[in-house]
Amino acid sequence: MSVAWRKVGFVVAALVALGLAGCGSGLSEEDVEERAEARAQEIASQMVEEQKMASGDGMMMAESGDRLRLVRERGKVICASRNDVPGYGYLDPSSGSNVGFDIDLCHALAAAVLGDPNAIEIRLITAAERGPTIQSGEVDMLVRTVTWTTSRDSQWGNYAQTMFYDGQGFMVRKDLGLSSALDLKGASVCVTQGTTTELNLQDFSNQNSLDIEALTFEDTDAVLAAYEGGQCDAFTNDRSQLAALGTALENRSDHVILPETISEEPLGPVVPHGDDQWFDIVKTVMGILIYSEAYSVTSDSVPTVKTGSTKVDRLFGLEGAFGQESLGLSQTVAQDVIRAVGNYGEIYDRNLGSGGINLPRENGRNALWANAPCTDCPKGGQIYAAPLR
Amino acid sequence: MATVLRSLTYRGIPVWRHVKVIQWAIQIVSGIAVVALVVWFFSNIGNAIQERDIPYGFGFLDREYQTPIGQHFLPYESSDTFLYAFVVAFTNTLIVSVVGVVLATGLGILIGVARMSSNWIVSKVSLAYIEFFRNVPLLVQLFFWFYIVLALPPVREGYVVADRLYVNNSGLTIPGVSASSLAAALAWLGLATIAVVAAVVTYRWLAGREIRTGAASYPLLVGCATAVVIGLIGWVAVGAVSGGAPFTPSIPEPEGAFGRISGGFTVAGGLVALLAGLVMYTAAFIAEIVRAGIQSVGRGQSEAARALGLSGMGVLRHVTFPQALRVIVPPLISQYLNLTKNSSLAGAIGYSDLTNIAKTMTQTAPAVSIFLLIMVIYLALSLTYSLIGNLYNRAIRF
Repeated sequence: MSVAWRKVGFVVAALVALGLAGCGSGLSEEDVEERAEARAQEIASQMVEEQKMASGDGMMMAESGDRLRLVRERGKVICASRNDVPGYGYLDPSSGSNVGFDIDLCHALAAAVLGDPNAIEIRLITAAERGPTIQSGEVDMLVRTVTWTTSRDSQWGNYAQTMFYDGQGFMVRKDLGLSSALDLKGASVCVTQGTTTELNLQDFSNQNSLDIEALTFEDTDAVLAAYEGGQCDAFTNDRSQLAALGTALENRSDHVILPETISEEPLGPVVPHGDDQWFDIVKTVMGILIYSEAYSVTSDSVPTVKTGSTKVDRLFGLEGAFGQESLGLSQTVAQDVIRAVGNYGEIYDRNLGSGGINLPRENGRNALWANAPCTDCPKGGQIYAAPLR
Repeated sequence: MATVLRSLTYRGIPVWRHVKVIQWAIQIVSGIAVVALVVWFFSNIGNAIQERDIPYGFGFLDREYQTPIGQHFLPYESSDTFLYAFVVAFTNTLIVSVVGVVLATGLGILIGVARMSSNWIVSKVSLAYIEFFRNVPLLVQLFFWFYIVLALPPVREGYVVADRLYVNNSGLTIPGVSASSLAAALAWLGLATIAVVAAVVTYRWLAGREIRTGAASYPLLVGCATAVVIGLIGWVAVGAVSGGAPFTPSIPEPEGAFGRISGGFTVAGGLVALLAGLVMYTAAFIAEIVRAGIQSVGRGQSEAARALGLSGMGVLRHVTFPQALRVIVPPLISQYLNLTKNSSLAGAIGYSDLTNIAKTMTQTAPAVSIFLLIMVIYLALSLTYSLIGNLYNRAIRF
């Protein structure tokens, strides 16, 4: 053993010596030694300095405004998202580009802070990678059908705004003749790893003593393949994703989505902890999308001169302000955003509605609250944001 | 004059040219560099964790895991703790690793030997096998096997042989045994181990006597009889104490509305695909190692053995292979380690290995701690393989 260690030591020593000798060939050994010691001291003093910096409490924490500066220096917004679920984020077969509801939110943010909706970079990540990715702050925004939960809010990053209300359901083959998810006793259910779905499934199984056996896959594609191949009897995901993924099934009419919704899944963009300004910017951009739908302004009808309606003029920077300046955004930020991606309703229709996976919106939770018949009756949908003023 | 003389006097090697001094200096410098690197590495992790408020710690190990585990060889309930779930997960990986290593070794040796066959077709088929399987990425191969398994009929339409054997895309189920109680099962397994040890001791003693004295001693027969007798006595004794046989047969049968097979022993579809992928892939590498080993033995050895009248198999078994092992074993161990670590791709095809389960755990427990733990577990497993391999390598040295 000791011989082996000595060998390892020798190799390391030889490598170090080689590396140092490389600095200037023809050096005598004492020169090499001197340089090596000087270098070692340099490293040591550097480390001491670095440690001092790090221990100055919170000095390395991201500060308000850092993110916006970083994004503008970089010239693009980096979003973590996906390209495998129709409607939310998928590759458009005709153009080959990554499109979807989540991707459009990233476009909207880029249009707001950089004036260019296409100045984005999409990092493709798996469900399980979402937490670490946003925790590390390597991306500016996480929009990958992320359910808002308290522990994620405390550990991962800040949830900006609920942009879609979802709930978990089950898809099964019609020929099983099931009418309720409670009939799934003893069934094998396919589920994607690292999702709240996985946890909800267990809760649902435990509460109703269903003894469900979970088959866990890293990728949703594999979940779908295993379900379609009959390796599991049902597959579970957010209902909207069941609808979206269902379009990929060979024969969609052989499958049904069971009526039960077993969870609350509010989905929306997440930003890294520690930069309040950035957090507020994202919230504001989402608000712009929602309120321009409420004011019936579409990408084709963005006002550039005063319309006379105070609310619309304020939103589009033609009269007064709603905090653009303190967020470091241009006075006419809403014009940039809406012209680039359209309002919430347009984004919805294009990706999730009639132009996409055909998820009905009318009278559902994802309709605008502002569309309620009267301002105080909660009969509209739940899509709502802080008033822009 | 005096100065000139002094400069001509030999004063020994200057201290900075002394080989011992130089060696020591290099050791110290490289030592400092290594320590500095490690310190920097860990302080960086520590700082990052603090800055970003990433939770860490190991208190979660005593908490209930509360999440399902797809396939498990140890009994598991969702009320079990994280720590126990780790044990279950580790067992799942260990089984893949051990079964995979055994199968890959067998297949690898077979193909390696076939590769050198004088039969043209056998040799070329082996060559094609090796080049195909070691040149296609493992993950791609795993998906290939995953889809092969999926192509089997689903559980309700699967193949059933004599109401005992079930083959479908959820897995392969054969009749098995179920323990009546954990204590009884462990007691009998303990006795069974003693029986096997006793049988081996008896066999070696009798075989030695036969060689020494030449008197017929029937080592194999007596050895087996020893094992059976002790095993039977143990069975009856444990049965008498616990009031029932320690193990009862468990016949698989479809159950419930979904016709899922319960009872018996099931190898899940994901495990079948994973094992197939890992074994076929690793065997290609092992085959080349075996070929290298056998070719390292001088041709004169096998020619001499043939001249002594040994058969083709005899030459391989008694002359070539024992000498080839010296060359084969060290790289073979690397392949075992590779197979074990590659099993962490299981999550892609739905087998609950250690990595797959641990990734799910990161949802409800600190990710940093969990990844630290699985790193330690894989490291421990790999080091154990290395240790066993090195001990074996030492034993076959000559």
